Amino acid sequence: MISITRDVIDAGAMIEAAKRPGMGALVTFCGAVRDDGGIERIELEAYEEVAVRELEKIRDEAMREFPIESVDIVHRIGSLFVGETILLVIVGAGHRKEAFAASEFIIDRLKQTVPIWKKEFYRDGERWVPGEAGGQG
Amino acid sequence: MKVRVKAFARFREILGSDLSIDLPDGAVMATALSALRDIAGDESGIIFDEDGALRAHVILMRNGKRVKRSDLDTLVLADGDEVAIFPPVAGG
Repeated sequence: MISITRDVIDAGAMIEAAKRPGMGALVTFCGAVRDDGGIERIELEAYEEVAVRELEKIRDEAMREFPIESVDIVHRIGSLFVGETILLVIVGAGHRKEAFAASEFIIDRLKQTVPIWKKEFYRDGERWVPGEAGGQG
Repeated sequence: MKVRVKAFARFREILGSDLSIDLPDGAVMATALSALRDIAGDESGIIFDEDGALRAHVILMRNGKRVKRSDLDTLVLADGDEVAIFPPVAGG
Protein backbone atom coordinates (compact mmCIF):
# COMPACT_ATOMS: atom_id res chain seq x y z
CA MET A 1 0.00 0.00 0.00
CA ILE A 2 1.18 3.50 -0.87
CA SER A 3 -0.70 6.35 0.76
CA ILE A 4 -0.76 9.80 2.29
CA THR A 5 -3.11 9.85 5.26
CA ARG A 6 -4.50 12.11 7.98
CA ASP A 7 -5.25 9.08 10.18
CA VAL A 8 -3.10 7.53 12.91
CA ILE A 9 -0.76 4.90 11.43
CA ASP A 10 -1.18 1.42 12.94
CA ALA A 11 2.26 -0.15 12.45
CA GLY A 12 1.29 -3.58 13.81
CA ALA A 13 -1.70 -3.92 11.49
CA MET A 14 0.36 -2.82 8.48
CA ILE A 15 3.12 -5.32 9.21
CA GLU A 16 0.61 -8.16 9.54
CA ALA A 17 -1.08 -7.12 6.29
CA ALA A 18 2.27 -7.04 4.45
CA LYS A 19 3.28 -10.61 5.38
CA ARG A 20 3.50 -13.27 2.66
CA PRO A 21 4.58 -16.91 3.02
CA GLY A 22 7.91 -16.34 1.22
CA MET A 23 9.01 -13.50 3.48
CA GLY A 24 11.50 -14.21 6.21
CA ALA A 25 12.11 -10.52 6.90
CA LEU A 26 9.91 -7.45 7.12
CA VAL A 27 12.17 -4.49 7.77
CA THR A 28 10.10 -1.63 9.13
CA PHE A 29 11.15 1.99 9.38
CA CYS A 30 9.02 4.16 11.62
CA GLY A 31 9.70 7.90 11.58
CA ALA A 32 8.31 9.77 14.60
CA VAL A 33 7.99 13.37 15.77
CA ARG A 34 11.10 14.14 17.85
CA ASP A 35 11.19 16.67 20.64
CA ASP A 36 13.95 18.84 19.23
CA GLY A 37 14.36 21.38 21.98
CA GLY A 38 10.84 22.34 22.95
CA ILE A 39 8.74 21.27 19.98
CA GLU A 40 5.09 20.95 20.95
CA ARG A 41 3.73 19.70 17.64
CA ILE A 42 4.40 19.74 13.92
CA GLU A 43 2.22 20.28 10.90
CA LEU A 44 2.81 18.34 7.72
CA GLU A 45 1.44 19.22 4.33
CA ALA A 46 1.76 17.52 0.94
CA TYR A 47 1.14 18.11 -2.73
CA GLU A 48 -0.89 14.96 -2.50
CA GLU A 49 -1.37 13.81 -6.10
CA VAL A 50 2.30 14.31 -6.90
CA ALA A 51 3.47 12.89 -3.56
CA VAL A 52 1.56 9.64 -4.10
CA ARG A 53 2.89 9.32 -7.64
CA GLU A 54 6.43 9.96 -6.41
CA LEU A 55 6.08 7.34 -3.65
CA GLU A 56 4.86 4.83 -6.26
CA LYS A 57 7.90 5.60 -8.40
CA ILE A 58 10.21 5.00 -5.43
CA ARG A 59 8.46 1.70 -4.65
CA ASP A 60 8.77 0.58 -8.28
CA GLU A 61 12.44 1.51 -8.38
CA ALA A 62 13.15 -0.35 -5.12
CA MET A 63 11.36 -3.43 -6.46
CA ARG A 64 13.54 -3.32 -9.59
CA GLU A 65 16.82 -2.66 -7.80
CA PHE A 66 16.57 -5.08 -4.87
CA PRO A 67 15.49 -8.74 -4.63
CA ILE A 68 12.52 -7.94 -2.37
CA GLU A 69 8.87 -8.99 -2.42
CA SER A 70 6.95 -5.94 -1.27
CA VAL A 71 7.09 -2.28 -0.35
CA ASP A 72 4.48 -0.43 1.69
CA ILE A 73 4.78 3.29 2.44
CA VAL A 74 2.34 5.39 4.44
CA HIS A 75 3.09 9.05 5.18
CA ARG A 76 0.97 11.08 7.53
CA ILE A 77 0.00 14.73 7.10
CA GLY A 78 -1.86 17.17 9.35
CA SER A 79 -1.09 18.09 12.95
CA LEU A 80 1.07 15.65 14.94
CA PHE A 81 2.40 15.64 18.51
CA VAL A 82 5.78 14.46 19.80
CA GLY A 83 6.01 10.67 19.59
CA GLU A 84 3.42 10.23 16.86
CA THR A 85 4.31 8.26 13.74
CA ILE A 86 4.99 10.39 10.66
CA LEU A 87 6.07 7.68 8.28
CA LEU A 88 6.02 3.91 8.04
CA VAL A 89 8.00 1.99 5.44
CA ILE A 90 7.74 -1.80 5.34
CA VAL A 91 9.97 -3.83 3.04
CA GLY A 92 9.19 -7.53 2.80
CA ALA A 93 11.85 -9.92 1.50
CA GLY A 94 13.08 -13.47 1.77
CA HIS A 95 16.11 -12.33 3.78
CA ARG A 96 16.99 -9.36 5.93
CA LYS A 97 20.02 -7.91 4.11
CA GLU A 98 18.22 -6.88 0.96
CA ALA A 99 15.26 -5.64 3.02
CA PHE A 100 17.52 -3.36 5.10
CA ALA A 101 19.26 -2.03 1.99
CA ALA A 102 15.98 -1.35 0.16
CA SER A 103 14.52 0.32 3.24
CA GLU A 104 17.42 2.78 3.45
CA PHE A 105 17.20 3.48 -0.29
CA ILE A 106 13.47 4.24 0.00
CA ILE A 107 13.82 6.63 2.94
CA ASP A 108 16.75 8.49 1.37
CA ARG A 109 14.83 8.96 -1.88
CA LEU A 110 11.66 9.95 -0.09
CA LYS A 111 13.44 12.78 1.70
CA GLN A 112 14.83 14.07 -1.60
CA THR A 113 11.89 13.88 -3.95
CA VAL A 114 8.44 13.59 -2.33
CA PRO A 115 6.66 16.95 -2.03
CA ILE A 116 5.90 17.02 1.69
CA TRP A 117 6.83 19.78 4.13
CA LYS A 118 6.79 20.17 7.89
CA LYS A 119 6.47 23.10 10.21
CA GLU A 120 7.57 22.91 13.83
CA PHE A 121 5.65 24.68 16.57
CA TYR A 122 7.47 25.71 19.74
CA ARG A 123 6.08 27.37 22.83
CA ASP A 124 7.42 30.68 21.58
CA GLY A 125 7.50 30.40 17.83
CA GLU A 126 7.37 28.30 14.71
CA ARG A 127 9.60 27.41 11.76
CA TRP A 128 9.51 25.52 8.49
CA VAL A 129 11.97 22.64 8.46
CA PRO A 130 14.56 23.37 5.75
CA GLY A 131 14.19 20.90 2.92
CA GLU A 132 16.47 19.03 0.58
CA ALA A 133 16.94 20.63 -2.79
CA GLY A 134 16.76 17.31 -4.63
CA GLY A 135 15.02 17.05 -7.97
CA GLN A 136 11.46 15.84 -8.52
CA GLY A 137 10.13 14.47 -11.74
CA MET B 1 -7.65 32.11 -19.61
CA LYS B 2 -7.43 30.86 -16.05
CA VAL B 3 -4.51 29.00 -14.53
CA ARG B 4 -4.72 27.37 -11.11
CA VAL B 5 -1.79 27.91 -8.78
CA LYS B 6 -0.98 25.64 -5.87
CA ALA B 7 1.63 26.90 -3.44
CA PHE B 8 2.98 24.93 -0.51
CA ALA B 9 4.69 25.43 2.85
CA ARG B 10 6.18 28.93 3.27
CA PHE B 11 5.08 29.85 -0.26
CA ARG B 12 1.46 28.93 0.58
CA GLU B 13 1.57 31.38 3.47
CA ILE B 14 2.70 34.08 1.04
CA LEU B 15 0.57 33.30 -2.02
CA GLY B 16 -2.45 31.45 -0.63
CA SER B 17 -3.18 27.73 -0.93
CA ASP B 18 -5.24 27.54 -4.07
CA LEU B 19 -5.51 30.56 -6.28
CA SER B 20 -6.57 31.18 -9.83
CA ILE B 21 -4.86 33.76 -12.01
CA ASP B 22 -6.15 35.34 -15.21
CA LEU B 23 -3.63 35.41 -18.02
CA PRO B 24 -3.86 36.42 -21.68
CA ASP B 25 -4.27 33.50 -24.11
CA GLY B 26 -0.89 32.14 -25.15
CA ALA B 27 0.84 33.34 -21.98
CA VAL B 28 4.08 31.58 -21.08
CA MET B 29 5.21 30.39 -17.65
CA ALA B 30 7.28 33.55 -17.12
CA THR B 31 4.07 35.62 -17.39
CA ALA B 32 2.43 33.52 -14.68
CA LEU B 33 5.48 34.00 -12.46
CA SER B 34 5.32 37.74 -12.95
CA ALA B 35 1.70 37.68 -11.75
CA LEU B 36 2.73 35.62 -8.72
CA ARG B 37 5.47 38.10 -7.92
CA ASP B 38 2.85 40.85 -7.79
CA ILE B 39 0.62 38.75 -5.53
CA ALA B 40 3.55 38.04 -3.19
CA GLY B 41 4.12 41.79 -2.81
CA ASP B 42 6.48 42.66 0.04
CA GLU B 43 7.35 39.00 0.58
CA SER B 44 8.24 38.26 -3.03
CA GLY B 45 11.94 38.30 -2.07
CA ILE B 46 11.52 34.86 -0.51
CA ILE B 47 10.60 33.37 -3.90
CA PHE B 48 12.20 35.78 -6.41
CA ASP B 49 15.53 37.58 -6.51
CA GLU B 50 16.00 41.33 -7.04
CA ASP B 51 15.78 40.91 -10.82
CA GLY B 52 12.51 39.00 -10.61
CA ALA B 53 14.05 35.61 -11.39
CA LEU B 54 13.04 32.57 -9.38
CA ARG B 55 15.46 31.84 -6.56
CA ALA B 56 17.61 28.76 -7.17
CA HIS B 57 15.91 26.51 -4.63
CA VAL B 58 12.34 27.13 -5.86
CA ILE B 59 10.64 24.15 -7.51
CA LEU B 60 8.07 24.76 -10.20
CA MET B 61 5.65 22.27 -11.75
CA ARG B 62 3.06 22.39 -14.49
CA ASN B 63 0.35 19.75 -14.27
CA GLY B 64 2.49 17.70 -11.89
CA LYS B 65 5.66 17.78 -14.01
CA ARG B 66 8.74 19.75 -13.09
CA VAL B 67 9.46 22.82 -15.22
CA LYS B 68 13.07 23.57 -16.17
CA ARG B 69 14.45 27.07 -15.76
CA SER B 70 15.38 27.08 -19.44
CA ASP B 71 11.71 26.61 -20.43
CA LEU B 72 10.19 29.53 -18.51
CA ASP B 73 10.05 31.86 -21.51
CA THR B 74 8.87 29.28 -24.04
CA LEU B 75 6.45 27.05 -22.12
CA VAL B 76 2.98 28.16 -23.27
CA LEU B 77 0.26 27.64 -20.69
CA ALA B 78 -3.27 26.49 -21.46
CA ASP B 79 -6.59 27.32 -19.85
CA GLY B 80 -7.11 25.08 -16.80
CA ASP B 81 -3.42 24.27 -16.32
CA GLU B 82 -2.23 23.71 -12.77
CA VAL B 83 1.01 25.42 -11.76
CA ALA B 84 2.63 24.38 -8.48
CA ILE B 85 5.36 26.32 -6.72
CA PHE B 86 7.17 25.20 -3.60
CA PRO B 87 10.41 25.19 -1.59
CA PRO B 88 12.67 22.13 -1.20
CA VAL B 89 10.85 19.13 0.23
CA ALA B 90 11.16 18.01 3.86
CA GLY B 91 9.10 14.86 4.34
CA GLY B 92 9.95 11.67 6.21
